[in-house]
Amino acid sequence: MSQVAPSAPVPAPANPDATAVPGAPATIIVIDDDRAMRLSCEKILAKSGFRVQSFESGSAGLEAVSGLKPDMAVVDLKMPGISGMEVIARLHEIDPQIVIVVITGYATIDTAVEAMKSGAYDFVPKPFSPDELRLIVKRGLEHRRLVLESQQAEMERELLRRRFVTFVSHQLQTPLVAIHQYLDVLRRLDNPDPAKLHEWLDRCLTRTDEIQAIIKDWLTLAKVEGGQLVHQRAKVDLTRTIAEILKTYEVLAAAERITLENRMPEEGCPVVGDQNGLSVLFDNLVVNAIKYNRPGGKVAVSVERTPAEAVVSVADTGIGIPEKYRKLLFGEFFRIQDAKKTPGTGLGLAIAKRVASEMGGSISVDSEVDVGSTFRVRLLAWREPDEAQETGRA
Amino acid sequence: MPLSAKVLMIDDDADCRASVRHLLESTGYTVVEAECGKDGLRRMVEHRPDVILLDVMMECASEGYSVTQAIKHQDCFSDYRGIPVIMLSSIQESPDELFPMSPESELIRPDRYIPKPVDAGLLLGAIESVLAARKPPAV
Repeated sequence: MSQVAPSAPVPAPANPDATAVPGAPATIIVIDDDRAMRLSCEKILAKSGFRVQSFESGSAGLEAVSGLKPDMAVVDLKMPGISGMEVIARLHEIDPQIVIVVITGYATIDTAVEAMKSGAYDFVPKPFSPDELRLIVKRGLEHRRLVLESQQAEMERELLRRRFVTFVSHQLQTPLVAIHQYLDVLRRLDNPDPAKLHEWLDRCLTRTDEIQAIIKDWLTLAKVEGGQLVHQRAKVDLTRTIAEILKTYEVLAAAERITLENRMPEEGCPVVGDQNGLSVLFDNLVVNAIKYNRPGGKVAVSVERTPAEAVVSVADTGIGIPEKYRKLLFGEFFRIQDAKKTPGTGLGLAIAKRVASEMGGSISVDSEVDVGSTFRVRLLAWREPDEAQETGRA
Repeated sequence: MPLSAKVLMIDDDADCRASVRHLLESTGYTVVEAECGKDGLRRMVEHRPDVILLDVMMECASEGYSVTQAIKHQDCFSDYRGIPVIMLSSIQESPDELFPMSPESELIRPDRYIPKPVDAGLLLGAIESVLAARKPPAV
């Protein structure tokens, strides 16, 4: 080894700049026919925590790319054999997202510009200081991180779009098909039995309600996403909000002999939020707690308060949620297989989650299968402006 | 073809089953219902229907095809391979689209497709024609 090689082993990267993908050090290849240049680049970059490997020719570098999968390539433009420009083109053929920085021999801006036109991200003119190289590499890796992130986001959007198509074709089409078939068969009957006629028309109405519910939830979700549901962060009394919601569902709960327990503090529970948003949020949680309960079960709403937060719990004695589903639960269109017999749109919890976060809060769930689930909504407690602030403002 | 033929209807939607059942029974068929693929295979063995009406999208998007696959490929169902299958689907999904890579899509193809919502006349016609085309069972 020459005297420029690092004397101590390269430490693991503590430096977050050294990663393109979180958790892994970025890999950089250096392609330069000048041995001294290769060694100094290796030394500078290894010291910053990158994994570095250098090659003396374009063909050697290109050969290694598929195996190494580097995040970045530092390429000398003037080399014998395959030219730097061709190396750039071939590197991009292998990985369109690889970041390429070119080293230009004589500070010839023209060749650097030409290289950037053919896809290089940046250039570093010789001679350069270690800091100049590090800065350009850091910028390049940041660029790669952003590109990879937007690619990931695009993939997630595509997945959501596909799920949406499946959702529309199934959940919206299923009730329509059922209604259509009832009507089609009824139309063919000369003298339909009045009891049957009634029964089927009732079913048709129930199924139109199902479509209405899907459309309603769908629009609510769109409103939350568009920032049109949660308008303000004002003082809202949760004790009153919860009492009103529980009253709305007394009949539904009584039909299943479910007890609704309001354990909210009588003196009130002020939180920061939007009245409409909070009503939608807890409406969804209370309805779920009733729907996915057992006959004779219980729904209890309570709160734990600190000066900063109010954590509201909606607890049921229902079917529970298997561990594997808990992460997916708040996603759009997600429904647990066993729960599919209970009518639902698969959007209620997605709405609840969005609303909570719009108000600076969050939502989580604890559950035990066949024992019950507890949904916890963490909200900011409302604090009256104290005297000092009042006088200060006056 | 005797109209007393037995129809097994596999569909997870109770309303869809109710209307089709009424249509078929008023035409003279006997109807057996199943609400999922697994249940459907069980009923097929139990009742040995003359024709199977099969919904594609039940628990999962292609559950109907797992039923045709089971009938055509599992040895325990080899006695039932001659039963004609009419697939009902509200989305245009042929096995070629659902399983583009599968060289065996031909083997899980049903005898007929009928779009949902089911047109009563089309369904009755399809059942009659698959029953008529059915090979007489080997005695």
